[in-house]
Amino acid sequence: MTKRLSIILLLVGGFLLHSQETNESVFKTLKSNLTVSFESNSQWYVNDSKFGDFEEDEHLRTTNFLRLDYTISDRFSTGIQLESYAPKNLLNNSELYDEDLELATYYLRYKTKSLDFTLGHYYAQFGSGLILRAWEDRALGINTALFGAKMVFSPHDAFRITTLYGKQRKGFDLSEGEIFGANAELDLTNALNIMRSSNLLLGLSYVGKKEDYRNLENLSVDAVPNIVNSFSGRLNFSHSNFYTDFEYVAKSDDIRLNNIIPNTVSFSENQTFEGNAVSWTAGYSQKGFGVSYNFRRLENMRLFSERAFGNANNNPTNQLSVNYLPALSKQHDYTLANIYLYQSQPGLFIENYESPLIKAGEIGQFVDLFYNFKKGSFFGGKYGTKLNINMSYWASLANNYSDPNGIPYFVSDDLTYETEFLNFKNKLYTDLNVEIRKKWNRRLRSIFTFINVFYNKSYLESKADGSKVRAWIGVAESTYKFSKGNSVRLELQHLSTNDDARNWLGGTVEYFFNSKFGIYFNDSYNYEDSKIIQDTKIHFFNVGGSYTKGATRLALNYGRQRGGLLCVGGICRPVSQNTGLTLNFTSTF
Amino acid sequence: MNKYFYVILLTIPLFTQSQNALPDITLKTLSGQTVTTKQMAEKHDLLIISLWATWCVPCKNELDAIAEVYDDWVDDTNVTLYAVSIDDSRTSKRIKPMINGKDWEFEILLDENSDLKRAFGVSTVPFTAVIKQGKIMYKHTGYTPGYETELYNQILKIAD
Repeated sequence: MTKRLSIILLLVGGFLLHSQETNESVFKTLKSNLTVSFESNSQWYVNDSKFGDFEEDEHLRTTNFLRLDYTISDRFSTGIQLESYAPKNLLNNSELYDEDLELATYYLRYKTKSLDFTLGHYYAQFGSGLILRAWEDRALGINTALFGAKMVFSPHDAFRITTLYGKQRKGFDLSEGEIFGANAELDLTNALNIMRSSNLLLGLSYVGKKEDYRNLENLSVDAVPNIVNSFSGRLNFSHSNFYTDFEYVAKSDDIRLNNIIPNTVSFSENQTFEGNAVSWTAGYSQKGFGVSYNFRRLENMRLFSERAFGNANNNPTNQLSVNYLPALSKQHDYTLANIYLYQSQPGLFIENYESPLIKAGEIGQFVDLFYNFKKGSFFGGKYGTKLNINMSYWASLANNYSDPNGIPYFVSDDLTYETEFLNFKNKLYTDLNVEIRKKWNRRLRSIFTFINVFYNKSYLESKADGSKVRAWIGVAESTYKFSKGNSVRLELQHLSTNDDARNWLGGTVEYFFNSKFGIYFNDSYNYEDSKIIQDTKIHFFNVGGSYTKGATRLALNYGRQRGGLLCVGGICRPVSQNTGLTLNFTSTF
Repeated sequence: MNKYFYVILLTIPLFTQSQNALPDITLKTLSGQTVTTKQMAEKHDLLIISLWATWCVPCKNELDAIAEVYDDWVDDTNVTLYAVSIDDSRTSKRIKPMINGKDWEFEILLDENSDLKRAFGVSTVPFTAVIKQGKIMYKHTGYTPGYETELYNQILKIAD
């Protein structure tokens, strides 16, 4: 057991012993003020006749999270999170966390109506997270909590200011870089009283990252900034059914370090580059109808509390990321719809082919439309019909590179570039999604989905082979509810394309015996010959069941995971194919 | 796994019961104003907090199913439901257009960085908690078709 953990246990023990009250009432107080949650994920990887043997070490791996939150009084609360990755983290997750058992986070919080002060580990987000987001997502294996202090002060309902300082969590260690920031939010709705049913909110943020430059690669960089500053301004306005949000972020100069794919030769190591982001949304919604338009442009916006983590090859799970730059395209529930999925391109990467390929960022837009065909209308039928159309278009930033010293590009450390502000010509990804939800009667509901997708594989997966994928995906699913609380769900999927791994067929059948116990089987089968032989004619199946009681859930699953890009929760990362048994247990008391 | 972990785990049920106080967490309304769970509990004697997301199909099915019977629930028990979205900026732009197509009568709040989700100790959504006088009386994870009837029976029990 580790030293840190022993200290915590001693403190708890000490608290119990020194308490003035009798043991029984101490016990009662503890009971009603303690919230406990536990999550355990285990995978047992097996050898597979189709893939060959499992060649990594440790066939059985588990990750476990135990979180305890204790309310001390009206104003004080405290908590810890213990994590165990034994003997190693799950496959494809970060090895930073490989510890048998360790105290991962701990905090002490003081909260009144106007002041919220946290000491220790904390999570935070400024605005939408474009400038700062410290968060946890266990499914993605990421925890970017900050360790230090955070204060939220709101002297008035319409004004809040957050200030924070901390070092970011790096496995069970802390980042070398320090993060400090402030965020002010002002609600002018009442102050201006401009129009009835209007809202106007303003937000201003600053985030600084201080990191001394360590000469990792013997680079000859003249002026490496130790502080990278980011500023954000935001405006949210709504009037009756109309709304709009705008955000602009500017990030100061920083160097670019060793992020070359696939070669190790690097460019531009004497240059520094600025970053910026623009995000704009406008929407209109009324009962039965909603539409929104979203625009976003990101240029060189990746920011890590340690520069070395900006290397996408070494850090596929985005550990130590300071801000949150997700892909803005529709998030899909279906397995085949998750094969060709957009991954956001916010960073600056200069790749070395015959001529330099400068990936400076992305520009794009998406439109979302929801419409409800009324009950009794031609398309609505007896129960109404719901329609959602979603379109997105994403391109890389058009840019021109140059070298002020006229050195051949493949050795140039002074290579620089300029981007065009509004140029959508370098298409990376487009999709069109049409989803129709239909309730046929009290027992039967269906969802029909059609997707058309264009995916620039060459660029998005750094293949440099010009490969592109155009595909159609169709999905039909129906749920039938029986009278005794049991239900069955059937889902059929097909992906059609002549590119990449060609056509896929997929399906799911799920049966719930009651609200507690259910089983399912799904399969994706790539039934045509193609050059992607690792996918051809293999059943990527999963079979499993789950049992839920109150807030406790146990799920068991056996199946094959496709190798390649795996997208969960909107973040994609390369994974190796594997076969195995998975056990998930979660509970909160 | 380390044996100490098991020892700690085994002692936990001794210390816990389901009637914990509702954690005090700051959420946002759709128009960006802040509201705390404490204020919500002070305003409503009996409330349901349902954590959901635009990308979670069972969540939307649950809220659709509750929406059909919500008026009756309110009439009979005076319960108030808050549907708290855990969508982050990847999908949060979809909330406003989506909910209007849905005829949901309950209020939608935003938990953009999963603060409430974390304070509830929840790993997956949907998650539903029934709160009476600021105490969490009942918690449930997941949704299967027809579960809303069971949830309502729990509310009736707690309302008494």
